[in-house]
Amino acid sequence: MSIIDAIKSKAVRSPWLYRINAGSCNGCDVELATTALIPRYDVERLGCKYCGSPKHADIVLITGPVTSMVKEKVLRVYEEIPDPKVTVAVGVCPISGGVFRGSYSVPIMLDDIIPVDVNVPGCPPRPQAILEGVAMALDIWKTRI
Amino acid sequence: MLDMLSHSFHLLIFPGGLFALLLGLLLKGFDRKICARLQRRVGPPILQPFYDIIKLSQKETIIPDTANKAMFKFAPVFGFMGMMVAAMLIPVPGVWNGASGLGDMLMLLYLLPIPAIAFMLAGSASSSPYGAIGTSREMVLMFAYEIPLLVVLLTVALKAGGADGSEFSLAQVVAFQHENGSFGFNLSMLPAFIAFLCFIPGTMGVVPFDLPEAEPELLEGPLLEYSGPLLAMFNLMSALKLVVVMGLGVALFFPGTIPGGAVANLAWFIFKCFMLMLVSVTIVRTATGRLRTDQTFKFYLKYPSVLAYVSLGLTLLFK
Ligand code: SF4
Repeated sequence: MSIIDAIKSKAVRSPWLYRINAGSCNGCDVELATTALIPRYDVERLGCKYCGSPKHADIVLITGPVTSMVKEKVLRVYEEIPDPKVTVAVGVCPISGGVFRGSYSVPIMLDDIIPVDVNVPGCPPRPQAILEGVAMALDIWKTRI
Repeated sequence: MLDMLSHSFHLLIFPGGLFALLLGLLLKGFDRKICARLQRRVGPPILQPFYDIIKLSQKETIIPDTANKAMFKFAPVFGFMGMMVAAMLIPVPGVWNGASGLGDMLMLLYLLPIPAIAFMLAGSASSSPYGAIGTSREMVLMFAYEIPLLVVLLTVALKAGGADGSEFSLAQVVAFQHENGSFGFNLSMLPAFIAFLCFIPGTMGVVPFDLPEAEPELLEGPLLEYSGPLLAMFNLMSALKLVVVMGLGVALFFPGTIPGGAVANLAWFIFKCFMLMLVSVTIVRTATGRLRTDQTFKFYLKYPSVLAYVSLGLTLLFK
């Protein structure tokens, strides 16, 4: 039994990342791409992989304030991610609306519609901060699997 | 009865089944690590493919409402089973000489397209537009790379048949090469070997020929809608396929053995598979970008096919 548990617990070494752009200015997305693509920050060493399909994802990174046009779509994509999953909000936009706060098209915040596990503040956050956010998300993911 | 037992052993433990699965996942791990090192990244741990499988088998499976449910679940199992049978036919020179008297080269020719067919089934059953595009691309790609493979197998069969006739049993092909030297070092077989090297990235679906999955444009095409254990099944299938294709390459061109008994030869076989993968998969996919569908089709018709035909002609001339 304990061997099976030990094998099962190895699952935490393979978190796949998925990005949702909820009306971001693209600054945070560029930073995410940097984190993924540049050898210096290489997320693959943590076993991470960016995947193109929400159905393959374990950790979802959401950028941007949730604009009213994109809200339904974000919810729909979010529901397509199989459990267990962890949500990371990247940038100040999903936390408070950031520079778009008070705009007519940003009536709600991200945590009104989706349970957020980790916030990574910054406008845009540095790659190191994003990596730290992903590492924190990993710790949370360990308890869910 | 004894026959039954030995066949099940070969299917489930060695060289198919367990051995092929472990070797395939390990090779994939090395592939990812070396690719990362070539790009000056740290890269994932070697055991990463195992972790991925463990993770996927614990996730939820989501089946789209619009999908054909039975076919959606059947496709990965079909591909996996096909590759299990194919892995059973691969000889490990010096350890096991392959199932005898089966005409297994022809069998392999029919079994090798099964993963591609599974992808097509998966793509069309999932009712996603990306899956549909992936399916059509997979079909084009399959027609392109099957031609060189067919001619290469024919050439090897003719060569191994000696002065008269041809030989379609892998065990006999390996035995012939043990007596007369490996085909990989034979000048008239060199074009066929290069053609086979070109065939490998196509059938494995890696850059520059990863048209059906094309991550940035098609979001993994037929695999887009798959999640959890069914996706793990597809991963296992491609690990098995890696072993089958590399094992076939070793059997066709470099089946030489070293003294030192079964254990040393097993290690030698794994080493040869690894080197073949390094040359034909890892370095190729690190160094190139994706081709368009029409470019891929033309490439396969122009170069590997012609090279394979050159070998076939030389073999017929100097028989
Ligand atoms: S946090 Fe800043 S950089 Fe990121 S999406 Fe918002 S405005 Fe753009």
